[in-house]
Amino acid sequence: MASPSTDHRPRLHPPPAPIGAERGAIPALAGIGLRFPHHTAVLETRPEIAWLEVHTENYTDGGQPLAYLEAIRTHYPISLHGVGLSLGSAEGLNALHLERILQTAERVEPALVSEHLSWSVVDGRYLADLLPLPMTEEALDMVCRHVDQTQAYLRRRILVENPSTYLRWRHSTIPEWEFLAAVTGRTGCGILCDVNNIYVSAANHGWDPSAYLAALPPAAIGEIHLAGHSVRELGNGRVLRIDDHGSRVIPVVWALYAKALARFGAVPTLIEWDTDIPALEVLLGEASRAAMLLQEIREGDRDADAA
Amino acid sequence: MPTLLELQRAVYRSLVAGDDGPCAAHVVADGIAGEARLNIYRNTFIGNLTTALQRVYPAVHRLVGGPFFESAARPFIEAQPPQSAWLDEYGVDFSEFLAGFAPAASLPYLPGVARLEWAVNNALHAIDATPLDLSLLAAVDAADHGHIAFVPHPSVGLVTADHPVDTIWRAVLSQDDTAMAAIDLAAGPVWLIVERNASGVEVLRLPAPEWRFMSTLCVSRPLQEAIDAGPEIDAASVLASNLAAGRFIRFKLRSS
Repeated sequence: MASPSTDHRPRLHPPPAPIGAERGAIPALAGIGLRFPHHTAVLETRPEIAWLEVHTENYTDGGQPLAYLEAIRTHYPISLHGVGLSLGSAEGLNALHLERILQTAERVEPALVSEHLSWSVVDGRYLADLLPLPMTEEALDMVCRHVDQTQAYLRRRILVENPSTYLRWRHSTIPEWEFLAAVTGRTGCGILCDVNNIYVSAANHGWDPSAYLAALPPAAIGEIHLAGHSVRELGNGRVLRIDDHGSRVIPVVWALYAKALARFGAVPTLIEWDTDIPALEVLLGEASRAAMLLQEIREGDRDADAA
Repeated sequence: MPTLLELQRAVYRSLVAGDDGPCAAHVVADGIAGEARLNIYRNTFIGNLTTALQRVYPAVHRLVGGPFFESAARPFIEAQPPQSAWLDEYGVDFSEFLAGFAPAASLPYLPGVARLEWAVNNALHAIDATPLDLSLLAAVDAADHGHIAFVPHPSVGLVTADHPVDTIWRAVLSQDDTAMAAIDLAAGPVWLIVERNASGVEVLRLPAPEWRFMSTLCVSRPLQEAIDAGPEIDAASVLASNLAAGRFIRFKLRSS
């Protein structure tokens, strides 16, 4: 792969389409993250689920995984969720990575494309994790530049997801929720609001998760993520909550999700599960719980309209 | 206050080289030391890449077991972090690493199994390509036949090993203890071709001369060079069967 370089930055295209103009939008219903162990089951049993999300980097330019995805996408709307573009890399975006996202998007025709408010690449090396950015003006300018560049290259709006974090940098000056709101305000990108991540980061850093939600602009929320997390004991009664996507969504996160829906309205909601992936039925069960809460919000909205 | 680039390089040194000092100084401790917080990220970095290697090298993983695999993966990952987020493409040099990994010295077949698994992984993820239209070949002037240089199908890989690594690979992945017990490590070398066709990825044995012939053609050397290197084989029929199997997708004429 070419080393990241500012010399190879993609050229700017016309501005991305306005909010809500995505092709074949994802419905404001519950979906699940599709991982390899369920490719066959999804194709063979066609479970009743409104949409599916996949990790962009799990699909190389050809071969069997992509063949499965191309078959599956004829039955379900697809969201492409990137884990490796590294919007927060100081060295700039990797032009080849961006091109590969575009190629995959052209084949899969996803209804949504999303990335993370984090970084993973330095000096051309991919550190295989969503690493925390310092919340500084320098980082904000950098992320906005990269979101602009990505939206121009892909010729579409993207969603940017709030991360789970386990540390804060001393020189941070901007609260994460203000940082995220500023990114969407400046670039026109949407927000992928990961409710579990808000809970995890808030617990780890002593933030108020409701205040975090309240600081996000409702019109920018394009998707919600829900997942399970684990609790790691670090001695002396200290714990960190770890976003490992390896269990069910916990009750307090469901409650925070209900608050998010009350504020944002019905938003496409995804159940993510990446470690110790359970049977498809378990994922569908979690999704049906989200679907019920979405249904309640829609009915509430209708009641309010009728009143 | 570090610049963003300085901070990211400090995180790299912490996660990859274990040098926490300069990085931890920038972390808000808040009851938990910066080093312990960085360790969470280091565990994810190592863990995610170990999982990626395990996905590419499932037979190696089963042969050595989880803890041994992790003990081999970690120094490999620290020496060669990936250059791309497409982790199916990560680990090309793992077989070479295993060959020099002292704790694995008692398993001389391990690097060969790893080379086979890399070829299988490549075959699985290679881009789709249409086999060569044979009528294009028929149109080449007979005087130019020796100058034909083929482009192999992207899924095709050629692997040779001093041990029957294909038998080991199959027995391990199917968890067939009887087949495992029957493996004769002294059975001698194997010459393999790996490819993806309509029924999936296949690993086939080739006679050594045919394997050498294909090895020359698959690096796009002129046909005459492959013929000259292996005068003992019936080049026309070997070429015909490989063309019929869809193992080439294009050709051009080159004199050397």
